[in-house]
This record gives sequence, C-alpha cells and structure tokens, in this order.
Amino acid sequence: MKKSKSMIVCFMAAAVVTLLFMYVYPIIRTVIMSFFNVESVTASTSTWSWAGLDNYTKLFATSIFRTSMWNLLKIWLLGGLLTMAFALLFAVILTSGVRFKNFFRAAIYLPNVISAVAMAAMWRYYVFNARFGFLNSFLEFFGFDAVNWLDTTHIFGAMLVAYCFGSVGYFMLIFLSGIERIPSDIYEAAMIDGVGAFQKFRYITLPLLRGVFKTNLTFWTTSTLTFFVWTRMFSPTETENTTVVPVVYLYNVVFGSKGVTDVDAGRGAAIGVTLAIIMVIVYVVMNKAIKEDDLEF
Amino acid sequence: MKRVNWKKEVRLLPGYILCFAWVAFTAFILLWIIAASLGETNDIMRGEVWTNLFSGDLHFENYASAWTSNNVSVYFMNSLLYSVVGCVATILISAPAAYVMSRFSFLGNKPIHLSFIIAMSVPAVMVILPLFSLASGLNLTNNRVLYIILVICLRVPFSVIYLMNFFQSLSRGYEEAAAIDGCTPMKTFWKIMFPLVQPALITVTVFNFLSIWNEYFIAMIFVSGDAKTAVGVGLMNIVNSMTYSGDYGGLFAAVIIVFLPTFILYLFLSDKIINGVTAGGVKG
Repeated sequence: MKKSKSMIVCFMAAAVVTLLFMYVYPIIRTVIMSFFNVESVTASTSTWSWAGLDNYTKLFATSIFRTSMWNLLKIWLLGGLLTMAFALLFAVILTSGVRFKNFFRAAIYLPNVISAVAMAAMWRYYVFNARFGFLNSFLEFFGFDAVNWLDTTHIFGAMLVAYCFGSVGYFMLIFLSGIERIPSDIYEAAMIDGVGAFQKFRYITLPLLRGVFKTNLTFWTTSTLTFFVWTRMFSPTETENTTVVPVVYLYNVVFGSKGVTDVDAGRGAAIGVTLAIIMVIVYVVMNKAIKEDDLEF
Repeated sequence: MKRVNWKKEVRLLPGYILCFAWVAFTAFILLWIIAASLGETNDIMRGEVWTNLFSGDLHFENYASAWTSNNVSVYFMNSLLYSVVGCVATILISAPAAYVMSRFSFLGNKPIHLSFIIAMSVPAVMVILPLFSLASGLNLTNNRVLYIILVICLRVPFSVIYLMNFFQSLSRGYEEAAAIDGCTPMKTFWKIMFPLVQPALITVTVFNFLSIWNEYFIAMIFVSGDAKTAVGVGLMNIVNSMTYSGDYGGLFAAVIIVFLPTFILYLFLSDKIINGVTAGGVKG
C-alpha cells in the first residue's frame, strides 16, 4: 500500500496536539515548578524564584502531608488487600460453573459506571447514617447497639469499605478474563490426578494469574494515588486529618481552603511530582518482581 | 433444557450465597434510595420509606424541586453537552490517528504510541497546575469550550490505543481494492475503514461517555460556577447545602437523577461494556 505523507500528517496532527497540550507541556512545567518558589498558581514565571529541593523538604516536614501519605498507604495496602481478595473470590466463584454468571458479573461491576459522587452520597447519607442508615438498622435488628460510623474513629474505615465495595467489580473482571484464559486441559489433567478444588486454586490458578495480578496492582495504584472524591464527600466542610489524602492536600494548598493559610503552588507541584514518582517506582518494582515472560500457555 | 445437577449445585452453594448477598445488598441500597427520593423527609428520618411507597403516597415534588430550584437541570444539560461534544470530537481525532499509526511506519510512530500509553496513566494532578495558569492567563477559567477541550484531551489516549487494535485486525485487501478503483487513501479511510470498526467506535464512545459524565476533578477546577459546572460538582454542592437544610428527599432525588443516565446506558450495554473492559484491560 502506498504511503501518503500528507495523509499521515493530517490524521496525526490533532491527536499529537492533544498530547502536547494536555501531557507533554504540563508535565514538564509541573516538574520545573516543583523546584521554584511559586506563590500563586497563576503567577507569571518572572516572579518564580529558584528553591532547589525546598518545596520537597518543606512538604515532608508538614505534618498534614505526612498524615495524608500515611492515609494513602493505608488505603493502598488495606484497601488493596480487601478489594483484591473479594475480586479474586468472585472471579473464582463465577468461573466455577454457577448459574446466572452474566447477571452476577454485571451486577457486581455496576458501581463502576456510576458517578463516584453519587455512590459516595449513597454510602454516606444512607448506609452509614446514624439515625436511619442501613448498617445501624441491621445492627439494631439483631439487638446490637447503633454505631456512629462517621465519627473520627470510624470514618476512615467507613470510607475505605465504601470505596472498596465499588472497586471490586472492575478488578473481578480482570481476574475473570485471566482465569478464563487458562487452558482447561491443565485443570482436566489435575482432576485425573485427583487434585482437590483448593489445591487446584493454589497450585494452578494463582501461579498462572501472576501477570493479571501485575495489571491489577498497577491499576489499583493509579486509582488510589488520585483518591479525592471520597475524601471530599466524607469530610465535606473541612479537611479532617483522619481522611486527608495527598491530592486533597494538594488542592487545598494550591487553591486554598479553610484551614490552609499559606497558598503555595510550588509545593502543590512537588506533591504531584512525588505521586508520579511513587507510581513509576511501583511500576518498576512490579515489573521486576513479577515476570510474565516465563509463562507460556 | 439441561437437567439440574443437584450435587454440583449444592457444592456451589457457598458461592451462590456470597454472590446473592452482595447483589442483594446493592439492590436493596438502590431501591431504598429510590423509595427515599419519593418520600417525605420526616418519614425518611424515622426510617419509614417503604410505607409511603406501598401506600402510593409518592412525592414527585422532590424531583421537581431538585430539577428546578436545586439547579440539577442546569448541571444535567451541561454534562450532556460536555459528554456528547466530547465523545464525537474524541472519535474524530482518535480514529484517524489510530488508523495511520496501525497501518504505516513513519518517523515518530513508536514514540507517539508509547506516549499515548503513558498518558493513559498520568494522574490529573500532574497536569492541572500549568493548565490552570494558562487558562487564567487567557481569561478562560469557567469556560465551557476549554473544559470540553480538556475532556477530549483526557480521552484521546485511551481511544487511540483501543482503536489501534481494531484497525490492526482489518485486512489490507480493503485498501488495495479501493486503490485499484481509484479511491484516495483519505477517502478510503472515511468511506471504508472507519465504518468497518463501528463496533469498536461504539465501545470507545460508551467508555468516553461514562468517563466524561462522571468526571469530577477537572470540572471542579475549570468550570466551578453554578451555571456551567457538570453533574458531579453540582451534586456535591447540593449534598453540602442539603445537609444543612435537611431536605433528604431532595438529596436522594438529585442522586437518582445523576445516577440514571449511566445506569440506563449500562442496562442496555452491560455486555459491551464488560467485554470492553476485559478485552482492553483498560480503565474506562
């Protein structure tokens, strides 16, 4: 087929422009900004002054930022364990020959297509409601005492459970397609050898899902790093220490909010860069730790 | 009809129970919210949403007040505009690029391909600060056109990468036959290749629609004003003001209005959406 240069240029132009405008230019400028004293995000570059690593050192010396990173780690680790465990469990159940598989699959994935704000509103104003909420009605029905799920001791856990509930469906789908790709003759061979269900899972399914785990962990990391809506919904009026996450702190420090006195865009950029570096590290470690190449089926 | 293998079904019972409990919980919450959206705040506070529903005492005025006095109609129309324009423009930009990238080798093809893959996982916080300063310098904050451009840019990388797989799978015989008939390469694309990937275009558009409809972070920063903002930000404003006013009926009605468009889309297209997620392994 003949290659038409003008056609390539015409067809690529708009897409390349979006790439430059939305990603290349802003990323470079954010990285540069993180090394400068930039008071307001709208300040012109002539007012910037070199700060070296000051933004980063100040950032890690700020207690609310350290709290937000700690919360992020808890969301990533505890939420990740919870979400992956349920996602894998449902994927295994749905591939074990249950009826209504497509219905269950669609229903469990449903929260992923709904606005996060709407989902968070349902959880915060109904499920966790102290007066008429689902959880307390449930507890009272079985004779337990009602709990205030939104007080400082419970709110983080409540938020995390609600967030994970919505995430399970997506990761279940990825596990599901991974399990379905495993050739059935491996399982048949195991069955002839008299291998039990649990051992089949432990010695066949799990090892062959290594690559899928890598995909899922990468996606989980990306989505938890940008955790934002749920904190805003669970602590709407002011940012509380118990639920604050880096992106919420970034928003407050750049655009200002109650409780943040010094607006500092340079420090905001440093938060963005820190999160991006974490993502790259997780990605590299994941690729080193989980090798897919040696799997052939 | 196959005979039910009861032994097998009993063995699967724990799995059934867990799936059923999970789905029943989801369904119960949704039904309760719908019932509450039709109830009076006093009844909701007492936890008696079902009695209203079953006695036929339905308060549709919750929806009317959410729609008009709480501005949901404005947010809804804004999001509809952003989603429709955003989806169409994203396809018109992404499909040609995906086509030439999957068909021709040219200088920069590989780096651009890699850049799109990386761009899919770039967090929004890495890019909004310079974009916001650019926008405020040009006096374009709280501007509809700029927000639409931003959501298009947000969706192009995913759309290009997803569509490339489909163009790759098409036979080159189509182009060769068209060339023999004297069709120019560009015309061949729009007349023949573009319609051939229609199923993929629909899948991509569904994902883009869901993503733009549910977009929150960029809308909050770039179109925060009440008149121009999207449903996510609007719903957040309603939630915040209603916790003070205590109008729970109106709150749940607003939640349902925001929830319905994507839910209805999902009812009709759940198979397509689920296949899209698993085929691409990409976040929608």
